[in-house]
Amino acid sequence: MGPDLSVFLGLIADTLGYWWVIIPATILGIVVGAIPGFSAANTIIILLPITLTMEPATGMIFMVSLYTSSRLGAGIPAILVNIPGTAGAAATPLDGYPMAVAGRGQQALAISFTSSVAAGLITTVAAIILIPWLSQVAFHLHSVEMIVVMLFGISLIATISAEDKIKGLIAGFFGLMIGYIGADVVYEAPRGSFGFLELYDKVPLIPALVGLFAISEAFVVIERSSILSKQGEIDQKQAGWGPTFEGIRETLVHWKEVIWTSLLGLVIGVIPGAGAAIASFVAYQQSRLMSKTPELYGTGHVPGLIAPESANNGVTSGTLIPLLIIGVPGGATAAIMAVVLEYHGVNFGPDLFDTQPMIAYGSFTAMLVTYVLLGLMILPLTRYFSHVMVVPTVYMAPILIAFTLVGSFVPRAYIFDMGVAIVFGIIGYIARRTGYHVAAILIGVILGPLLENYFLRALRISQGDLGVLFSSTIGNILWVLLLLSLVAPGMKRYFALSRVNRKKTGSD
Amino acid sequence: MNNEPHQSPRNILPDCIIPALALAFTVYYLTTITEVPWISQASAIVVSGLLLLSILAFVIRSIWRIRRHQETLQITAIFRDLSAYRAINLKRLALLLLTIAYVWLIDSFGFTLTTFVFVFSGIVLLSTLANWKNALIVSLSCSVIGYIVFIYFFKTRFPEGPIEHWLKGIL
Repeated sequence: MGPDLSVFLGLIADTLGYWWVIIPATILGIVVGAIPGFSAANTIIILLPITLTMEPATGMIFMVSLYTSSRLGAGIPAILVNIPGTAGAAATPLDGYPMAVAGRGQQALAISFTSSVAAGLITTVAAIILIPWLSQVAFHLHSVEMIVVMLFGISLIATISAEDKIKGLIAGFFGLMIGYIGADVVYEAPRGSFGFLELYDKVPLIPALVGLFAISEAFVVIERSSILSKQGEIDQKQAGWGPTFEGIRETLVHWKEVIWTSLLGLVIGVIPGAGAAIASFVAYQQSRLMSKTPELYGTGHVPGLIAPESANNGVTSGTLIPLLIIGVPGGATAAIMAVVLEYHGVNFGPDLFDTQPMIAYGSFTAMLVTYVLLGLMILPLTRYFSHVMVVPTVYMAPILIAFTLVGSFVPRAYIFDMGVAIVFGIIGYIARRTGYHVAAILIGVILGPLLENYFLRALRISQGDLGVLFSSTIGNILWVLLLLSLVAPGMKRYFALSRVNRKKTGSD
Repeated sequence: MNNEPHQSPRNILPDCIIPALALAFTVYYLTTITEVPWISQASAIVVSGLLLLSILAFVIRSIWRIRRHQETLQITAIFRDLSAYRAINLKRLALLLLTIAYVWLIDSFGFTLTTFVFVFSGIVLLSTLANWKNALIVSLSCSVIGYIVFIYFFKTRFPEGPIEHWLKGIL
């Protein structure tokens, strides 16, 4: 596998011929990505009657372009109004929103877009080159290894709760417990569902996200006339194109951060079921861990925005690999792509790259073209998108509530889910007011069910033997890395303090 | 609640709401898993144990700080805070009730009509009745654009009511 350069360039040229599919899909993707509840997966399902009538290659390029651009679109509301468009962007507001409140929304958008586009281009090229090796990743990462990967993400709870660790842990564990609501994956035993049939299939994620971020935010911002701080309002009014160029420059300065977090996203994306949320949480946590200024994370720090945005765009190309190589979709959107391609009689497997290169490699070249197009289209819009923040809160709050609540209805079409969003909104409001991090609760709600699924599978396979958690070499290496990542910040602080004390003693 | 900086001991009663909710939910959750296989219980028992330990640590820290007069537990202080910000808290409560009503009514009256009424009422509530013209323009735009984009073009599964049924008949 792996095309030579001339074939690859030929494929790019062929893909450019599909501009009439890519451009509308890209615009649509940005819009649906930016609205909570309207994921790429939902939109592709809605548009199935159109997609199924297209040629397989055309349909695939349409779906890939829509998927790619929706990932980028999800960062826009996360930065401007503290509402992630999808769970994959849940770590984006941690540093993006504080930048926006301080009047640096335009710059934050430019950073988000530049890092997303760069990450998308890097990982797509890497995916094309590394397909034979990356396709093996899923074979080596089983339930046990995935438990440790999940714990890497969950350890972010402690990281983002730097101000008050105890409150952070309470919020995170509370979120995990909420995530355990519903039937378990092995025995289908309903647990903690308050008797609601609608909760048997776990707590719906979009209503939880809408409630914790959007509804609670709307109830908070009505105290002020604008989301922006006083200085932020002044800066926003005076802003020209400078912040956009500054954002691009800042991203390029942090090029190493973009590369390694996007590759981390690519590897996590290859693992079926892992997805963009876990990738962005792990990337944020690891970025903070390796930073020389970890205390700046959560205050509007540039690497804290680059890490999750690069990682969740890295996931995009990764999810296609198991789909095309072994027919196992890496996520919900890839699963719908599989349905469409199977409808057209496409057989997945390594042969696909020889028999139908326009579908196999074409999926990746469509991603490349989409990312280039996104870069050209969306960066000039940063200046105008950021004006959303000057809309007075008297208008913003009711509109936010109405559209995000309806967004929480869309995935399952249950009015019940809108009620769930209100309940989470109240919890989120109380949490914000009393110093509990809503992101910590959300991490628990997202990762809790995933962690439990892998845990149950591991125990089921080992017939209840807990020793299975330490039974694989890769798993044990990951355990050691997890342990190191947990103790490293404390060790760093200890050694820094010791150095200061030694210097003091020396000078005395 | 925590709207102002406190020189005197900080009232931590509001801070206890989330731990209390978490504790109540955990106890309820544990009562629902008594009869499921232990494998289905294991993960939740570990996490609930960690949650209870965190709450215990919070309680111990609070007692320690109360004894050092850094924190206090006063129900009257909550009412004092609430009344100090009475106007905005009343607006917030009214907006919450309006939101509940929105969810309650959207199933019967559909997205377009309910969203128009909700956004209009929300804007008037948060500003003044004198702002009714702007409220009317914004709420009408929201419901019409929402209908055209999401229901007409995307065929999204939005709650439908009399307006959607009527428009379906003529479009």
